[in-house]
Amino acid sequence: MVGYLPLAIFVVLLVYLSFTAPNYFSFQSLDLILRQAIPTVVVCLGLSVVVMAGGNDVVSGGIDLSIPATAVMSAAIIADQVTNHGTPIAIAFALALIAALIVGAVNALLVVRIGMTPLLATLSVSVAVVGIVKVITSSRRINVDHPVVVWLRDGSIAGVSVGVILTTILFLIFFFVVHRTRWGMNLQAVGGSRDAAEISGIPTGRFLSQSFVVAAFAGGLASMFVLARGSGSTPGTEENLLLEMVLATFLGAAFSPRRVVTLWGAVLGAVLVTALSIGFKSIGVNVFWTGCIKGALILVVVASASLSLRASARGHAA
Amino acid sequence: MFPGVQALDQASLYVAPGEIHGLVGENGAGKSTIIKVLAGVYARDSGTVTINGTAYDTLTPASVHAAGVRFIHQELHLVPHFTVAESVFMGQEISGVFGIDRKTMNARASAFLSETLHVDIAPNTLIRDLGIAERKLVQIARALIDNKARIVVFDEPTAPLAMAEIEQLFAAIRRLKERGIAIIYVSHYLGEITQLCDRVTVFRNGKDVAVEDNIDDASSDSIIRHMVGRALDALYPTKHHAVEAPILKLSGLTSEGQFSGIDLTVGKGEIVGLGGLIGSGREELTDTIYGLKQPTSGSIELGGRELTISTPSTAVAAGIVLVPRDRRHDGLVLDLSVGDNINLASLEEIADLWLENRRSAARRSDALSEKLDIRPRNSSAITRFLSGGNQQKVVLARWLATGSKVFILDEPTVGVDIGAKVEIYQLIEDLAAQGAGIIISSSDPAELLGLCDRVAVLMRGRMIADRPTDTLDIDSLIALTTGFEATGDAA
Amino acid sequence: MSLVTETNSTTMRNFLVRYGFLVIIAAFFAFFSLYTGSFLSGTNLLNIIEGSSILLILALGMTLVVALGGIDLSVGIAFDMGAAFAIVAMKDFNAAWYVAIMIGIGGGAIVGLLNAFLVVKLSVSPFLATLGTFFIGSSVQRIFTGGGGPISHRRAPMEYRNLAIGDVFGIPSEVIIAAVVLIIYFVFLEWSIFGKRIHAIGLQKTAALVAGIKVNKYVALGFIIAAATCAIGGMIGSANLRMFTPLAGFSYLLDAIAAVFIGASIHPHGRPNVPGTLIGVLFLGMVANGLNLMGLDFNTKDALSGLILVGALAIAVAQKRWR
Repeated sequence: MVGYLPLAIFVVLLVYLSFTAPNYFSFQSLDLILRQAIPTVVVCLGLSVVVMAGGNDVVSGGIDLSIPATAVMSAAIIADQVTNHGTPIAIAFALALIAALIVGAVNALLVVRIGMTPLLATLSVSVAVVGIVKVITSSRRINVDHPVVVWLRDGSIAGVSVGVILTTILFLIFFFVVHRTRWGMNLQAVGGSRDAAEISGIPTGRFLSQSFVVAAFAGGLASMFVLARGSGSTPGTEENLLLEMVLATFLGAAFSPRRVVTLWGAVLGAVLVTALSIGFKSIGVNVFWTGCIKGALILVVVASASLSLRASARGHAA
Repeated sequence: MFPGVQALDQASLYVAPGEIHGLVGENGAGKSTIIKVLAGVYARDSGTVTINGTAYDTLTPASVHAAGVRFIHQELHLVPHFTVAESVFMGQEISGVFGIDRKTMNARASAFLSETLHVDIAPNTLIRDLGIAERKLVQIARALIDNKARIVVFDEPTAPLAMAEIEQLFAAIRRLKERGIAIIYVSHYLGEITQLCDRVTVFRNGKDVAVEDNIDDASSDSIIRHMVGRALDALYPTKHHAVEAPILKLSGLTSEGQFSGIDLTVGKGEIVGLGGLIGSGREELTDTIYGLKQPTSGSIELGGRELTISTPSTAVAAGIVLVPRDRRHDGLVLDLSVGDNINLASLEEIADLWLENRRSAARRSDALSEKLDIRPRNSSAITRFLSGGNQQKVVLARWLATGSKVFILDEPTVGVDIGAKVEIYQLIEDLAAQGAGIIISSSDPAELLGLCDRVAVLMRGRMIADRPTDTLDIDSLIALTTGFEATGDAA
Repeated sequence: MSLVTETNSTTMRNFLVRYGFLVIIAAFFAFFSLYTGSFLSGTNLLNIIEGSSILLILALGMTLVVALGGIDLSVGIAFDMGAAFAIVAMKDFNAAWYVAIMIGIGGGAIVGLLNAFLVVKLSVSPFLATLGTFFIGSSVQRIFTGGGGPISHRRAPMEYRNLAIGDVFGIPSEVIIAAVVLIIYFVFLEWSIFGKRIHAIGLQKTAALVAGIKVNKYVALGFIIAAATCAIGGMIGSANLRMFTPLAGFSYLLDAIAAVFIGASIHPHGRPNVPGTLIGVLFLGMVANGLNLMGLDFNTKDALSGLILVGALAIAVAQKRWR
């Protein structure tokens, strides 16, 4: 039971908000929360795959801090191409995806071939990518009013936002690939115990590399939702996205009873964090407090998770 | 791989189908090298490898696997949060139309475990919820599930297992033999070798020096002679220390759910053995005395004074030290030098005003290195690259340097070759003769009897016996630890 | 297993493997000297050293935490707190300059204390603990300054301002402060028995614990000392402009991490170490300075320095691996 303590903390907060904030649990506000959460959810899917392949340890295991920068870079490429050069959006999107995949390949090269720790490699790549974004956009905002982007932002099918539907489909694809295919099982084996995977004949280096490419691809896909949410490309978007991604993914790990990063945990984390942000805003909490609340939240949740894990470890023979 | 060293010198090994072939030798004798050559990990300079009539020019891990050779490594190599079936089929998952076919995998894993290995483990159980013995069986099932194994190499499979679990493993190995599979069994435990194997090849200095047929209990003397190249008159030193007043006294020591009501006294100059199966509370008890875990009630007295030991540093300051069972993980900082590891617990004594005095540090560690015959005799060697026996001597050297009063040694000779074992035993005896109180926690009954003055036996967290060793023999001690003897006669 | 014969090509390779990173530094140095006339002047080289002083102080704090096996994402917060506490103490409480410095160091130490509490008492991993501290610290600054406006103190005493603009025999005082911190850290981490214990903890925590080292005490003190050190950097920053600029410390975070890892990469056993960190800091300072002198536009400069960072780290790590 103690395994669900972190989740319980969230539920209590949400219940509190639903009593305090007006119309908090209406369909509209739920749709708003989900739409707001989309870019974070998509990058979280990518990060989860990297963590699954690299292991749960944040410093020595798998982590990719460059996904948000990749998403913002792809968004900048699309915005620049569509608005400044009149490129058809499909071609712009393809270019953006190729650029994202290159970033993923560089990460894979640095981590698997060169042997850098993922934290260091992806952090420095993230800085370089942000620098490239500045060159592309000259550090200026680029508006995009292309119908596809507007449709992604405002469109809906049977009352549900297009973005939410597409993200759900994407989640299901990721879920199937990770949990129901040999590729996914082998990927999880590599993250669970690299030695075990190697002994079973699984090429661990290849899976690690692929995880970074998949993550970068998720970043590339997220670019469209970044554009839709911001109606264009805005400098500095990556910082907040990075913080939300890390927060959501590791909150998700704290939610899971086994304390490992999971796809559903990361998605749940992303949605709940957004729900809280919107909830606090609607009851008039000063916006400057948001970071404080998020920080305190991650600490409370992660601390309660690690304390409960320690308590349950005491019950077993070491 | 070994610059300037010839690891194998014209070594031969012949194994027939349906036989259990023991492979023994001291550390560095070449037995693990020949296994790695067979695995395709190391390349050979000359010689032939023939598997099932086919000669192999170059061996790669893949070609060896295809030829039906399987390895059961010493380490378990399992993913804690995978299920049993997922672990058994790791790397060879069964896929259906809708992706991974968990149903078939579960059914086949559970069938294999019950039919071939005679255990019933639910295929949905998580690895982290299994005991060590069951994990070992899952590891074996993973190697054999494709039914293509012709040769299975077991590398020290029993190291983490208790007596009853070893029997379970041996039964499984014998069933493989009946199916005509050739088995190579590498172990330091000669008792197991003589009990299990049909033939034994002994390695020394990179050569096969002897092949023993018709193995029985009497073979071990001749095997030891071949291993060390001379007769070992005695493995254990003669006891000539005198037991004086008590130095360590445990009264009613209890740790909820682990062990309860432990009363134990260790005298100055006394060696007390601690026996019991895995899970008997033996490990938790020694960890608790050392402050790695906290007791829920009871007291620890050292030299008549009650102590609260909250961390190992308190224990060390009071004069209680631990030689842990997992020396590579807990005992040594592997990437520090031998000298640093030796001095790590007594840094104040090699410092001038908090600054390390490198000369006195080297003098101190060199002296201990000399005394314990640590090889290489080089204090700046990185500890990771020493053999198991020498690593254990480094741990012992560290605690000798502190002049402690109570030594707790947890499985002190696991993974240690016979030569180093004899030296470590003598060292323990010397420590006792100098008046230290010693607790040896061990799953090797011969070691407990050969070394200790008294043996206390734990079972399911309770102390069921505390007897002088001259009232016990191997059979009665095994009977005690495995619960075959009536309980209730605790001292 | 034939013996390796020494040929010219292998000695060349050995040289590159051992000193590869130093070769890169030399190459950049030569390039900037040739490409820009002003790079190789005495004043400019002193500029590089002076410009690297604050980063060096933060990177040294980071070195301590990384040597203990952790990481500190909140060095920037400690930097900000040092500045904020000192400036507010002088401005609102009329504290004397030396009292203000003590208070500033204390302000940084509070950040370290929070990290230590989270890591040691609550068993949160250092990455997540210091990330949480970062969130909270940033937010606290925004709340306190009503959204991030600076707190200016024009009448700051001259002694305090001298932290940044003073000099001793022509050597800027921030260089002297950084050098003193450098020497203290060097003796502490590389020569003292505490340093020995710290490295043992960073390499193998449980083995250090079993060897009787007070692991929790060292980890806690490590976070506190590192944060207090960063606060010194923050005060130098605030002394220069006579104001506390919220969130100014964040810009040092990545460079501090990069410097520590460059330094670890050129260590024979890959350990974080004080001389290595110094080399890492000077390299980053040299590149920033050189790119500035090349007169590139702001965005291109950012992109280039990011790419150079990736390349330099990759080479530093690869060099260690191929050794």
